[in-house]
Amino acid sequence: MREALLRSNDAMIAGVCAGLAAHLGVSVNVARIGMVGLALAGGAGIFLYGWLWVLVPTQEEQLRKGPTPVGPRLTFPKPPEQAEGTRAATTGQPDGLQNGTQSWIGKREVLLGTALLLVAAVAIAQQLGANLPLDTLLPVGVVAAGAVLAWTQLDESRRAGLMNGAGASQAGGLARLVAGLLLVTVGVLILVSGSIAWEITWSTLIATGAVLAGVFLVLAPWGLKFWRDLETERSGRARETERAEIAAHLHDSVLQTLALIQNRAGSEQDVIRLARAQERELRNWLYADATHQSGNLAERIRAVAAEIEDSYGTPINVVVVGDTELSAQQEVLAQAAREAVLNAAKHAGGNISVYLEAGPTGSTIFVRDRGSGFDPDAVPADRMGIRVSLYSRMHRHGGDVSIRSNAEGTEVKLVMPENVADGAQ
Amino acid sequence: MNTTQEPVTVVVVDDHAIFRSGLRADLDSRITVLAEAAGVAEAIATIHEHRPQVVLLDVHLPGGSGGGGAEVIAGCTALLAGTQFLALSVSDAAEDVVTVIRAGARGYVTKTISGAEISDAVLRVASGDAVFSPRLAGFVLDAFGTAAVASVDSELDRLSARELEVMRLIARGYSYKEVAKELFISIKTVETHVSAVLRKLQLSSRHELTRWAAERRLL
Repeated sequence: MREALLRSNDAMIAGVCAGLAAHLGVSVNVARIGMVGLALAGGAGIFLYGWLWVLVPTQEEQLRKGPTPVGPRLTFPKPPEQAEGTRAATTGQPDGLQNGTQSWIGKREVLLGTALLLVAAVAIAQQLGANLPLDTLLPVGVVAAGAVLAWTQLDESRRAGLMNGAGASQAGGLARLVAGLLLVTVGVLILVSGSIAWEITWSTLIATGAVLAGVFLVLAPWGLKFWRDLETERSGRARETERAEIAAHLHDSVLQTLALIQNRAGSEQDVIRLARAQERELRNWLYADATHQSGNLAERIRAVAAEIEDSYGTPINVVVVGDTELSAQQEVLAQAAREAVLNAAKHAGGNISVYLEAGPTGSTIFVRDRGSGFDPDAVPADRMGIRVSLYSRMHRHGGDVSIRSNAEGTEVKLVMPENVADGAQ
Repeated sequence: MNTTQEPVTVVVVDDHAIFRSGLRADLDSRITVLAEAAGVAEAIATIHEHRPQVVLLDVHLPGGSGGGGAEVIAGCTALLAGTQFLALSVSDAAEDVVTVIRAGARGYVTKTISGAEISDAVLRVASGDAVFSPRLAGFVLDAFGTAAVASVDSELDRLSARELEVMRLIARGYSYKEVAKELFISIKTVETHVSAVLRKLQLSSRHELTRWAAERRLL
């Protein structure tokens, strides 16, 4: 799978190239050279870089937002210190903030050097006689500097690094905004006053457009930033709600059961029963997934087993293969299975295995216990349980029952085909 | 299955100290516990150091990159020839088990298992056989399908009629011994069938299995 496009921490300026390289699966240097090449091609790279800087979140921002849920499966939120640990582990930084400050200082020198080199290049070109339109280049440079200053507001990690380094606060942000605004306005004014010689209509049009563009340039990042803050807060609140819900559920179920277990520590039977019931309930809550809707046969058999397990305290292990709709016939099967499990719990005790194999053509259930066994033919006629509940009921609906019993236990097999009795009835 | 008198060497990996000491006390004299470990990295280091015959491995482990028991197995692939992994889980839910089996575990048992049963399971795994619980047999039947088999597909993608019978009986709660008696075959043959199924479960890329697992978000 391709890496998500995220700005990297391993950054020269804002981590765009490193992130892009990871996303595209090429080396960082290739991405950087490509970006420089694009920048030389009419400045396209600069625009692309700026655009990605603004729109692509950093790794930290993405982490703070939390991973996108893969499915309805519930995940417990990690306690804060653990979450912090995973973040450090993922980014590979023992102390992200400090490291960010250091790399920022390095970058500042790089930026300064680049700017000086540019100025030097311009000066040399001028000396060599190239006729550069300095009175246009200068204001454009000023506008660009102002815009960069304003847009850096958007970069949260950068701002954190800056604040940490300079001890700046909200006032620092405001000062940068004002400075950016001033620079852009001045630049635009110089640009426009330089072109005063043109026709009056033209210059008015350009001036208006330029000023508006300048203002938009400065205000847009603020709008974006507020919108992003809102998003962050909203997702944070959603997680908080989820956590509260989990806490409430655990309190109502698990803590209550633990208290009960402490009270009944003397009775092994009670403790086992409570623990199994709680495990079942918790598991059902955690893993209840959309593939098994209630009302199906498998769900019904599990509920039957759970009910009998609760009242008799014998562990009942249910294994289900496939599933089918709970039709009238399968309901009969479920009732017969209940009778069989009940008999096993009453007379045999110990572990009971229930195996359901269901499909579109019918269902088979095996109920096996480890009791001392009995002879099905020797059951007196007045014992209604097996005869009425199992044999006659199953036969009436087109199903079949067979019982095997020996000294090692008893196994009841219930077979119920689908769509046979439908035609008969 | 226990032909040698030498006790089987075991490393116990579980993040709960109470459970580890309980398990240690439960294992009988045929088994020697060499060491214990509580996390993924510690487990990998301990297993490499002691080279046990069997690792009793909790499915849910802290540390590493969050992969739990499966990550431990992945970190010990070089030792898989001499070391078998028996997965332990709080319960035999599909979510817990299939990943660790696919990673290379030879079987799994639930933590509610009795001392005698877990000792038997350890010996069985040490001798190269697989340990299937009824629930795992149910997963296999669910994933590979219970329909009649024809050897059209790749051999890995289907269960033979005999393997299907064995899986069904295990899912119904039969022990290996009872399965052997029921099908009039030897226990050794039952073990062979179960090992074959385990291999298929680990190696099959059959799309039904993949889809089955994907629906339950297991792979």
